[in-house]
Amino acid sequence: MTSIFIFLNSSVQIKRNVTVVSGKIAGLIGFQFFFVFISFISLIYSFIISDFSNETVYNNSHTTKPLFYKITGTWGNHEGSLLLWLLVLTGVLLGFILKSRNEPINYRLLTTLFHQIIVIGFFVFVLKTSNPFNEIFPVQKEGLGLNPILQDPALGIHPPILYLGYVGTSIIFSAALASMISNNVNKSWAKKIKFWILFSWIFLTAGILLGSIWAYYELGWGGFWFWDPVENVSLMPWLSLTALLHCVVTLEKRELFKNWTVVLCIITFALSMVGTFLVRSGILNSVHTFANDPSRGIFILTFLLVLVLLSFVIFVFYENKNFVQKSEIFTLSKETAVLINNWFILYFLSVVLIGTIYPIFLDVILDEQISVGPPFYNKLILPFLIPFVLFMSIGPSMKWIKTNFRIGLKSFLVIIITLILSFMTIYFIGEKNIFVLLLFIGFFYLLIKSLDQFSKKTKNFAQIFSHTGFSLLLISILLNSFSSKEIVKNIKVGESFALKNEKIIFKKITIEKENNYESIIGFFEILDEKNKIINLKPEIRIYNEPEMATSEASIKTSLFKDRFITINIIKDQNFFNVRYQHKPFMIWIWISTLIIILGGIFAIFRKNKEVNI
Amino acid sequence: MKSKKLSIIKILLYFLLVLISSKGIATPSTIYEEQTINITKNLRCLICQGQTIHESNSDFAESMKKYIQGELKNGKTNDEIFKSLVEKYGQWIVYDPGISKNTLLLWTLPLLLFLIGGAIITRKILKKI
Repeated sequence: MTSIFIFLNSSVQIKRNVTVVSGKIAGLIGFQFFFVFISFISLIYSFIISDFSNETVYNNSHTTKPLFYKITGTWGNHEGSLLLWLLVLTGVLLGFILKSRNEPINYRLLTTLFHQIIVIGFFVFVLKTSNPFNEIFPVQKEGLGLNPILQDPALGIHPPILYLGYVGTSIIFSAALASMISNNVNKSWAKKIKFWILFSWIFLTAGILLGSIWAYYELGWGGFWFWDPVENVSLMPWLSLTALLHCVVTLEKRELFKNWTVVLCIITFALSMVGTFLVRSGILNSVHTFANDPSRGIFILTFLLVLVLLSFVIFVFYENKNFVQKSEIFTLSKETAVLINNWFILYFLSVVLIGTIYPIFLDVILDEQISVGPPFYNKLILPFLIPFVLFMSIGPSMKWIKTNFRIGLKSFLVIIITLILSFMTIYFIGEKNIFVLLLFIGFFYLLIKSLDQFSKKTKNFAQIFSHTGFSLLLISILLNSFSSKEIVKNIKVGESFALKNEKIIFKKITIEKENNYESIIGFFEILDEKNKIINLKPEIRIYNEPEMATSEASIKTSLFKDRFITINIIKDQNFFNVRYQHKPFMIWIWISTLIIILGGIFAIFRKNKEVNI
Repeated sequence: MKSKKLSIIKILLYFLLVLISSKGIATPSTIYEEQTINITKNLRCLICQGQTIHESNSDFAESMKKYIQGELKNGKTNDEIFKSLVEKYGQWIVYDPGISKNTLLLWTLPLLLFLIGGAIITRKILKKI
């Protein structure tokens, strides 16, 4: 049954040739999306009914799994996630075509053409190397199950959200190339494409947030970001999208940086292709790498190179002829601020990119293995964050074209409040490092300056929220990393230990049986400094299909700190390994990211309002 | 305005004083534990997927933690411990790539790009004034 859908898929491929010539593009693109959608739904259906004649279902599902995880299992594997990729890829094109009704037909056709190149590439990729509808014979009675650490609500919705952002960048790429050729890179184009940039940016931010939350409570060590290559791969398009976002506003308001905007559009999508290559090829060792198959890697790499080459050729041909910079830039202007923003963000991007791919090259060329971890990123990024946030604080008060700066009483007041806050924080966490102090000063300055924007007559809520959110995020991360406390003990039931003024008592152990796992639950009582009792129940789950033990953290969140506990069995011993942590300001890391996202949503809303006027 | 500046300096000085005077007292055993955590946070657990030795509960990680604490008690410094581990397991085990012949580009390339970017921007801004 399912093979019919593949056939339909390939027939859609042929249809795209018609697509370009035909006037009724929207209909055909809708058709294409519809077929991918049907394939996707049918794959989900195969997962729901546990159709083990399908290889993907057999490898990644099991009858005893709850329905929700049967569904999320659809994209919890290589083949299914690529189908999801295709779904989003065709979906954004449909969305673009529907939204761009009033734009030049040439531009829409060219965008469709470029986008179809990507679509075909991925269709071929799916069909050749990772067909989700491969059948197996004889039909198996039971599947192999989904990796238990992927059986989690946050991770269930993480891929679709992330993909909307990640794959959404493809339409920006296609549209940028198209508008370059049709000589359409101008104010109105900037206004239109901004929607798609914001769309990708919002979903990418939300996707990264979900992934971090998941890593925090599921991986069991209380961290949320480890500069793992797979995390980096999602951060890189995010950084370039952020740079692009600021750049495209300048294009919209001042018709500046035309070439640069197009370059950023290309870079963004290229980075998300690089990410796909790194993750899907199996070069990286991580939970995201479902299978290790060199042919897949070679395909994506070739395809990536073709796309980059194509865009490069187009860029060289259409670059200087069309755009000559007419307006000048004054040193004290918002234009300069945007340039500086892009400068720093691209530097951060280059750090992440080089840190991620350098070890791979070193391994291939010199056969030497090195690890590039947090120390590398901290050393290269943190010092640059200080000037970055200072510029970020001043940037929004700059005006387009030219700014006259006045240093008034208020500036002094802001500086004094910043200093007081920073010193108090430093004193509170007991950190004596002058560099940390400088970081806090920078972050608090940004926070206050961003909040200060509320007092302005013309408020840009998008910017206020995202900048405030960003400063809060930096502050919470810094506080979190400096005042986290933890203790690891091997204890038996009935014993207790202490962390600071708290007493942790191991009360009892119970064993419960669920459908697809057995769980050992530890009951802990925490007596805090005011002798209030907090109950925590960390678990060890032993999943049956596939057989695997996971440790489920138990977290008590409060406004200022999370109490985080995990237990582990020690082989051949009758005591448990207990890890108890104080993670201060965890909730603020999530909240501030939500505020950043809210800023993005404001930006979309604001744009609509302007169109109405 | 001047009095304001002065008061800022006063506050600064005050806080600096407080900072300097508030040194904590730590017992030797907790120092070893903390030092072990600091070291193991920068070591890769070789049998895990992208975890540090500090985070991992695997047998390998546990024995490494004991080993490192022992070495510290023997009076070895952090650098000596890192060095001996790199000799034994290769550069792969430490998360800090360090500066060597192989990693020179890793460290300098981003900085170089930053300088180039700065040069381009300065030219762009100054060109038409």
